[in-house]
Amino acid sequence: MIRRGTRKRKKERLLVRLLPALSVVAFLVIWEAAVRLRGIPPIILPAPSSVFRYLGAMIADGSLPYNLGITLLRILAGFAVAGFLGVVVGVLMGMSRVASRVLDPWIAALYPLPKISLIPLLIIWLGTGETYILTISVITAFFPVVISTYSGIRQMDEGLVKAARDLGANERQIQTKVIIPAAIPSISAGLQLGMGVTIILVVAAEMIGGSNQSGMGYLLIHYGQVMETEKVFASLIVLAVFGGIIIKIQAAIDRWLAPWAMGKN
Amino acid sequence: MDIFVENLTQIWGEEPDAVLALDAVSHHFRSGRLTCLLGPSGCGKSTLIQIVGGIEEASAGRVRIVNPEQSDSPPARPGERSVMMWQNLNLFPWRNVIDNVAFGLEMHGVARRERYQRANDLLALVGLNGFEYRPCNQLSGGMRQRVALARALVMDQPVLLMDEPFAALDAQTKIVMQEELARIFERMRKTIVFVTHAIDEAILLGDEVVVMTARPGRIKEVIPIDLPRPRSQDLVNTPEFGRLYDRILHLIREEVLNAMRQQESARVA
Repeated sequence: MIRRGTRKRKKERLLVRLLPALSVVAFLVIWEAAVRLRGIPPIILPAPSSVFRYLGAMIADGSLPYNLGITLLRILAGFAVAGFLGVVVGVLMGMSRVASRVLDPWIAALYPLPKISLIPLLIIWLGTGETYILTISVITAFFPVVISTYSGIRQMDEGLVKAARDLGANERQIQTKVIIPAAIPSISAGLQLGMGVTIILVVAAEMIGGSNQSGMGYLLIHYGQVMETEKVFASLIVLAVFGGIIIKIQAAIDRWLAPWAMGKN
Repeated sequence: MDIFVENLTQIWGEEPDAVLALDAVSHHFRSGRLTCLLGPSGCGKSTLIQIVGGIEEASAGRVRIVNPEQSDSPPARPGERSVMMWQNLNLFPWRNVIDNVAFGLEMHGVARRERYQRANDLLALVGLNGFEYRPCNQLSGGMRQRVALARALVMDQPVLLMDEPFAALDAQTKIVMQEELARIFERMRKTIVFVTHAIDEAILLGDEVVVMTARPGRIKEVIPIDLPRPRSQDLVNTPEFGRLYDRILHLIREEVLNAMRQQESARVA
């Protein structure tokens, strides 16, 4: 009796674990059936089977890997610069009252501004090359990183600082051995937000103005203009999977960096 | 270390909302003794211990910490010869057990080898061998207390200040930790000031129980506890314990009622 009970429960657990995959498969089947039964022209909505055929072809001819690689490099460059600057400025603001006073009005004013609205200005100043793409992604990703880092430091548990001081830590040691480690979960959360917006802004910049005619944003806009809808879909799928993988990797890094904060943020 | 607290007054906030937390408190915490500070919540006992530990600065009055064997040398600054064990422990969650214990030594520039050696000795004393490299958030409440105790003891200071360290523990773990502390105290003979609101804990651990009044905090009565050491939980069943308990309970009950009346009138106002 007991054995059967556990076997039944195991079965249920397996079903629950398969639900995400089943949901995707069911969606694709309905999509395929709808396109075929209603005879929707592929230029409007291609069937998933033909999207995957095109996807295979684009991987085989190298256009997808190449453009995805370019986009990835741009994202990483923008993220690295924004992450570094954001953490440095955030820590500076958290540690120094003067710095936070000086920088606060700028951050308060610029953070809510939709960064895409800066694109025309940046194109006038920087042209449409790599500098422009890098700049727009850095500007966008910088803010969430600064704000999370700063608030992480500001909201830290005063008790830890008192305890460290009682154990003989000097002010510098309190900064490096207590305040910064305590802020790592928020810094990491800020970096994850920053990565999200970097992906968005790099792809957007590749779509709007990017003169190098490369990257996933360029592919999307290009195939859209020539109405190769299958390739638009194929590019979208790749971009979605790629974004998902990056977020997963970041979450794993986060767990590795700050295992004590799990379930807290 | 003898700790002389003289006319300590602490006022929180500014007029007209100023709160008198401590009102000219004077007491001599005797060297090598364990003194329990007992009182209703909000009576300023935590404030008092934090002033003695140099965490807070008093509005008025002074603290003299002197070595009875060298009474002509200048008194120590508050915090200089003491270490605090906190109510909420304040362990560093990103550090494992041994790096928490060795934190103070690390801050003083003690080399890794030596500080691990000393931290290991203390971990052995509190019964945490084998947990050196565990992250602190994987430990039970009682084990976290032991880490915090070891982190304080490793500093090898003559004065140990304990601010309700066992308040959050379940009843069984609390008993074990009290016996553990009694054992360590009997062995090390430090000067300990122990803040608590539990009467039985105060009698069990203390050489002396200082009962404080509700706000403003004053010393209501000092009760010597002459029960023999080593002490264990069995004391609870002795008539002497019962008499002391009743006496302190009587004092405390008055103060708790006072505190409640104060809160009541504050709400009406």
